[in-house]
Amino acid sequence: MMDGTMNEDWIENARMIVESARAVVPADGNLARVRAARFQGCGFDRAVMAQAAELGWPLMRVAEDAGGLGLGLRETCALMEVLGAGLLPEPVLSTITAAALLQEALPEEAMTGEAVIVTAWQDATGDQGWQGGARDGTLQGTKVHVPGADGADLFAVLTCAGVAIVPRDAQGVTVESAETLDGCRPGRVRLDGVAAEILPCPRAEAVLQDARLAHAAYLLGLSGRALEITLDYLRVREQFGRPIGSFQSLQHRATEMKISLELSRAAIFATARRFDAGADPRARAHGAARCKLRASALAMLVAREAVQMHGAMGITDEADIGLFVRKAMAEANTYGSPREQRATLTGLLAEEHAA
Amino acid sequence: MTGQPDYNAMSDDDFRAMVRSFVEASYPDIPRHSLSRLHWHEVKPWYLILSQKGWICPTWPREHGGMGLTAGKHLIMIEEFERYGCARVNDIGPVMLGPLLLRHGSEEQKAQFLPRILSGEDVWAQGYSEPGAGSDLAAVRCEAVRDGDDWVINGQKTWCTLGMDANWVFILARTDKTVKKQAGISFLLVPMDAPGVTIRNIENLELEAEFCEVFFDDVRVPADHIVGRVNDGWSVAKALLGHERVFIGAPRLSASALARLGHIARRAGVWDDPVFRDRYVTLQCDVMDLTDLFETYVDRLRDGREIGADVAMLKIFQSELYQRISELMMEVAAEDSGLRATPEGDRQLHAAATWLSARPTTIFGGSTEIMRNMLAKAVLELPS
Repeated sequence: MMDGTMNEDWIENARMIVESARAVVPADGNLARVRAARFQGCGFDRAVMAQAAELGWPLMRVAEDAGGLGLGLRETCALMEVLGAGLLPEPVLSTITAAALLQEALPEEAMTGEAVIVTAWQDATGDQGWQGGARDGTLQGTKVHVPGADGADLFAVLTCAGVAIVPRDAQGVTVESAETLDGCRPGRVRLDGVAAEILPCPRAEAVLQDARLAHAAYLLGLSGRALEITLDYLRVREQFGRPIGSFQSLQHRATEMKISLELSRAAIFATARRFDAGADPRARAHGAARCKLRASALAMLVAREAVQMHGAMGITDEADIGLFVRKAMAEANTYGSPREQRATLTGLLAEEHAA
Repeated sequence: MTGQPDYNAMSDDDFRAMVRSFVEASYPDIPRHSLSRLHWHEVKPWYLILSQKGWICPTWPREHGGMGLTAGKHLIMIEEFERYGCARVNDIGPVMLGPLLLRHGSEEQKAQFLPRILSGEDVWAQGYSEPGAGSDLAAVRCEAVRDGDDWVINGQKTWCTLGMDANWVFILARTDKTVKKQAGISFLLVPMDAPGVTIRNIENLELEAEFCEVFFDDVRVPADHIVGRVNDGWSVAKALLGHERVFIGAPRLSASALARLGHIARRAGVWDDPVFRDRYVTLQCDVMDLTDLFETYVDRLRDGREIGADVAMLKIFQSELYQRISELMMEVAAEDSGLRATPEGDRQLHAAATWLSARPTTIFGGSTEIMRNMLAKAVLELPS
């Protein structure tokens, strides 16, 4: 009974959030804004981040008694799926993650969208470690692949000592951003003896697992829309006097994408449900890695097949499918590449065996 | 048949506990966890025990001698049977013909045939495929011609699973050659001991006779042995298979194969090998993802929602995954996988036995290729 009621709650919440996402992701799939924003300025639109704040997104994963919305991970994944389908370039997930780490300490200006806050957690490329960066009560070290770094005002810097709010113009902070394939500007944040109040953050690992799962949902949305666009093309493009979608070799490959998509969707939402119900640490680590593994593989499968099935159009920049391909390439390995996920999974297997 | 209690009123936990204790207390002295199908003479005791208990037809309505289980309860029962490794009985009658007669059969047919399925008096075989009609099933040529009060049947059926154990077979027969192929097929019930029926066993790659061919040579059956209307057999046969459409894609085959892979790897001393582990965890994730997808369909069944053509995704992925697991088993068992039996003699952990038993899963019950064709058209809406 209880479970049923909770189920309905999450579905209704998710529906409202998905609807609200239409404010920033056009329902007709128009990608003109996304295309125009590429390789310009900081790579995202601060006005859209302000809109996201108005819609309350940063507060999704902040507990109600800390002034947040206290929504579940399923709702977050539902939102991320829509944002992925719309190739949203704004660092919404990184903001949600920062707020989830900070809880009641989330600054007012980040809540209102006046300031853009993103999370600086990752210590090194190709590694999911986040404990570095704290020394003797100050911040000392480097955080890499910080989403939206070029346009952010505040960083939620995560270290083994806890989480700290660091303004980008604080003494000792250097930001070096680099353009990604899809035209965003994440960056490296150098912290050289930065003085900041470091708040304890016992749920850090769990919040990052949530982010990994939510990012998988973004890849799911991206892949779903790219598959739709590709199927549309298969239905209309004619060769040999027939739509190419009537050819069995393409049909079978299309079903492979569909199966992978539905497996990914089922895994992500079932895992989010388990996280919401309170999964143990091992199940959390395993679930996030499993979902990210499949979603990354899915995004790259769809990217490859989308290019091939679009033929020469697939290798032009003018076709929108290219935007999906470049985004997939830029995002498939963030929050951990498939190799890293498999390393996590084999590690868990070894622990299980030893236990 | 005496009425069954309303098991659906029990809590899932109570129902599971009841099934488990019944299985543990009642399962006869026959093989458990068998990779290949048992024959009627081996599995009959279990069939009769289930029949006595009133549990042989879990999905049939209670008024017809079934348990009337919801999908959720049925799944629990399947899980508990699988957990104990209960042998699969000759279930064509309970699973296929029974539900089909309940939907399309006449009152006389229901009264005549359903009780004999429940009691185990009749064992049914399915006669659909022919040498020239496999994936293209509507191409059947086995012919039934009306002669007075009888149908006279001539032709051949093949791949009748455990057909040699059956005393009845239902067939799709051509009753009109002048119309579109799907529109000239009828669904007929034929006793295996009718004059003119001969069967020939076919050995499979495991060197076991799991299926057979059936030949019909001027076989006569009464006119009332037709189910549904004349020439309407295609839609009769195509009608739903109830929960089976979902359960055929259940992750249990893959999950149990994965567990066996773990045992084989430990025995072969490669469990700690990082190369093995990398591939093992990938397969493990596949099994878990499939389980999550399967659960979404079980939820739909539980809520009484429609199951669409997309359910075929489950069977496609499950059968291919089962095969991929069996392929890694072969690599792990290395040279031993080429032996007819493992040095230890345990068939369960013989990689080749699993590899072979995984082959039919992508062929029977709709080949993977046919299912992909169907998915492409019905679900992805790709053109013909």
